[in-house]
Amino acid sequence: MRNRDFLTLEETTREELREILDLARDVADGRLSKSLAGKTVCLAFFESSTRTAASFELAARRCGADVISLSESGSAIAKGESLVDTVVTLDSLGADAIVLRHPAAGAARLAARHTGAAVVNAGDGCGQHPTQALLDLYALSQAFDGFEDLAGRRAVIVGDVLHSRVARSVIPALRRAGMEVAFSAPRTLLPLETDAWDLPVLPSVDAALEWGAEVLYMLRLQNERMTGGSPRIPSVAEYGAYYGVARRHLHRGVRVMHPGPVNRGVEISGDVVLDGASLIPNQVAAGVAIRSAVLTLATGVAHEVAA
Amino acid sequence: MTRRNGQSPELVIRHARVLDPSTRLDAVKDVRLSGGRVAEVGDDLQGARKLDADGLHLFPGFVDVHAHWRTPGREDEETIESGSASAAAGGFTGVVMMPNTDPVVDKPVVVSGLLRRIEQESRVRAYVSAALHVGLKGERLTEMRLLKEAGALCVSDDGLGTQSAGVLRNAMLYAQSAGLPVLLHCEDHTLATGVVHDGAAAALAGVPGSPASAEDVATATALVLAAETGAKTHITHISTGLSAALVRFFADRAYVTSDTTPHHLTLTDELVSTLEGMYRVNPPLRPLDDRDAVTDALRDGTLDFVATDHAPHASEEKDLPLEQAAPGFLGHETAFAALHTELVLTGKLSLARLVEAMSYAPGRWVGEGGSMAIGSPADLTLVDPSEEWAVDRGSLSSRSWNSPYLGRRLTGRVVGTIVGGELVHDRTGARFGVRA
Repeated sequence: MRNRDFLTLEETTREELREILDLARDVADGRLSKSLAGKTVCLAFFESSTRTAASFELAARRCGADVISLSESGSAIAKGESLVDTVVTLDSLGADAIVLRHPAAGAARLAARHTGAAVVNAGDGCGQHPTQALLDLYALSQAFDGFEDLAGRRAVIVGDVLHSRVARSVIPALRRAGMEVAFSAPRTLLPLETDAWDLPVLPSVDAALEWGAEVLYMLRLQNERMTGGSPRIPSVAEYGAYYGVARRHLHRGVRVMHPGPVNRGVEISGDVVLDGASLIPNQVAAGVAIRSAVLTLATGVAHEVAA
Repeated sequence: MTRRNGQSPELVIRHARVLDPSTRLDAVKDVRLSGGRVAEVGDDLQGARKLDADGLHLFPGFVDVHAHWRTPGREDEETIESGSASAAAGGFTGVVMMPNTDPVVDKPVVVSGLLRRIEQESRVRAYVSAALHVGLKGERLTEMRLLKEAGALCVSDDGLGTQSAGVLRNAMLYAQSAGLPVLLHCEDHTLATGVVHDGAAAALAGVPGSPASAEDVATATALVLAAETGAKTHITHISTGLSAALVRFFADRAYVTSDTTPHHLTLTDELVSTLEGMYRVNPPLRPLDDRDAVTDALRDGTLDFVATDHAPHASEEKDLPLEQAAPGFLGHETAFAALHTELVLTGKLSLARLVEAMSYAPGRWVGEGGSMAIGSPADLTLVDPSEEWAVDRGSLSSRSWNSPYLGRRLTGRVVGTIVGGELVHDRTGARFGVRA
């Protein structure tokens, strides 16, 4: 048996992505039940979460794992226990996998150095959020004609790239799938080195559609992560006018994605959330299957099943 | 006083000494204007209307990137009509209005309202600078993209200056995304605690001084941030030798332009000894060494152009002790004459460089005007280089009269200003008359 960390998608190959998506489909189709029977999965959330925590827990339980859940309130984390000490404690309790959410980038990598359990990064600061990007790929593959059909299509990531761990995982994931990616954001919401990813920067959602975007990946304004003396945008009215997606943008079959939680009326208007063009429900729905597949691969079970 | 661009009848200006730095032309020529544009430059040109300009200089229209027309809010000091009349009298065919009005120009509706009034009331082309921060307070960004759509040319917190480097950097990044240049008044308020330059004159007079570092520290900050962000940045009213040297250092490191004013090029802080409120200005008048260094920097192109910081004030704000007076000078009407008298006639600056620094260079920054190339807008300035005149209240078109040159005699005077092919300021009749 081997444990496999899921810390980042930066190094993940196209083949590995396909393997995870295929396994997730098996989970969704009911071909992989109770794959985690006898395993212990620990959820250690040093930062609040709704979607991610719920779907990891559901995934672990449906696959038959024993689940230990630590959240920032009501645990040693609230008492100020350090990340490393928490991880060592979970390791001693016999965890096979530790699902970690933490407010600082690199936390998952640090944790992995202190445990033999598989560490699954459930979001670390502005660093990475690999399972989000995987479920996005899953939802996209379904919306188009499978994973292979994504190649050559254009996606634009709109909004607060600077503070987004989602963007830092979605960019390599979409590129590995063969998609062409661009940003649309004001420079106050982009890294100073806007060419860090060597991607074009487009001035608005309208410009994104002109560029040929078939997918608009909307990011939330992460006010809680913004530091510095003054707000990064002048007003919701101006932000929405250039970087918000509205019903008028939904012609020609563009798909709208959002990792949640959505600021309705800011980056996305309420009627778009509920529109057929929105893949937001599909993204959430893909969460359990993807996280089941990831936990199965992380604890080495799938390897045994396949062998 | 509306302009009818594109409909103006043909006009031939004859026998003027045409000096156009944009085309490197310097010769006695005829210039034919048609349809609001420069149609032909040559000899013995014919046209429906003729203007004999023997002995006069003909330049591309001057462009002033820094002016306060006090509208809205202080129309007792200046209006669009009087400000543009003052500009026209000084040979300016294009002017950028600063946003420190009441209300501040920080909302798209204020920009569009001003542009509508400019269309109706201005004799010259006028452009609107919107605020960089709401209320010029250095806190919340203005809606720069909507301001640009409403017609704003640039953004600036002129008059105050952004105090926090972090706030300024954020605003420069945002302005760059909005596609608007940032015009910066560089002044550190923790240093600028006085009312005049902190030099010997202030010491002797007993007037609280602000050190040159108040400008230099803020200029350095702005330049460093311009280099890092790549934002298109203009630093206005450079008044010290060190700030000019800093601009020179950053010339190929940042997307930066800069200007200085006629008063910083011609006056010094010796005027502090008068203790008169008239001579308070911000940045303050500097010692001779600074004035000479700034002149050198304008000559060698380190400083791109001249801007007047035309700042009308009611007499009750200027007829006060230095410490209590409002800072600011009128600028439009004396700019060329003062610089011609003090710099060109003394051999410190060539006429060609002065004209370039008042027309072509600021015109390029604004994106319009400053050239007599065929097809360019017919924005021109006619100057009598030998006319001596006394600056007095009666000679000024502004609603205010706070000129630091009041009572002085200057040599060289604007006698005609043409915008879009039409004479919007005309003293040529006094000498030659317009002949049909």
